[in-house]
Amino acid sequence: MHRKLDETDVGIVERLSQDARLSNREIAEELGVTEGTVRARVKRMEEDKLIRITAVTNIDRFRDAALAYIWVEVERSEQTRSVAQALAAIPELGFVGVMLGRSDILAITMVRNAEHLAKFVHQRISAIEGVRGTQSTLGVNFIKHDYRMARIVN
Amino acid sequence: MNDLVAGRVPRHIDLDATDHAIIELLRADGRMPYRAIARELDIAENTVRARVRRMEESDTMRLVAVTDLEAAGYNMLLAIGVQVEGRSPEDVAREMAAIAEVFSVNVVVGSQDIEILVAARDQAELSELIGDKLGSIRGVRRLTPALAVDVLKNQPDWVPFHAS
Repeated sequence: MHRKLDETDVGIVERLSQDARLSNREIAEELGVTEGTVRARVKRMEEDKLIRITAVTNIDRFRDAALAYIWVEVERSEQTRSVAQALAAIPELGFVGVMLGRSDILAITMVRNAEHLAKFVHQRISAIEGVRGTQSTLGVNFIKHDYRMARIVN
Repeated sequence: MNDLVAGRVPRHIDLDATDHAIIELLRADGRMPYRAIARELDIAENTVRARVRRMEESDTMRLVAVTDLEAAGYNMLLAIGVQVEGRSPEDVAREMAAIAEVFSVNVVVGSQDIEILVAARDQAELSELIGDKLGSIRGVRRLTPALAVDVLKNQPDWVPFHAS
């Protein structure tokens, strides 16, 4: 079970979620704790996969990029896990989740257009052992994604 | 509300191989020292510093801490398809984007008009979110939710930036 964040953790994360390059010293001064505390907390939260400090890029800055939702149905329910694992190994997929309802697995990726999506699904997903069928929706307007929140896995 | 602030529209920059290499290293570790990046890529530390600043100032890249939803107390993650009638999907989508628990909003083409990802702390909060907050938005005809029971991967490295 995941450990929850305490007040100091939350204070640190709030600052780092705005600017990850803030120094431990600056954060410590703002929170009224020692620099060592901040360093130890950040290290622990990263090690426990409670936070991930990373670079995110702005999709609006990349031409020809649309988000695609690919819903995958498996042949037999027992294959759900193995298909999901095969999908998670595809670098282009940014999200893979086993779902209850609508279909068996949801995979999200970035594609150039409908033709690229069709090709990607055909070549990379339909070929996976246990995939019965897929249903895709192509994004036309990516309105919001709060990158400060994610399920951190691996 | 998610449009870039008027008057502060950053210019578009083209990224070269060095920029992409820096982004890749920072994706793995957003606090990697510039000195270590410089050594890894065999370029000057000042070059790294200047490239990062240029990418940040143009709103091309941000270095941030991402919090695990579960660690933040959100135990339920759902993908909800939204069918809209009598209103433009964009308008409905923007209204949904204003809700904090709705952390991803996409206008799509297909059997749904909008796809959203939402997080909830528990069933009561989820019920309120779907029944009251989302269901009562004008133009929402039908919400079709699916609950994520096992997230194997969640690393969307590409997102729209918002004024905040």
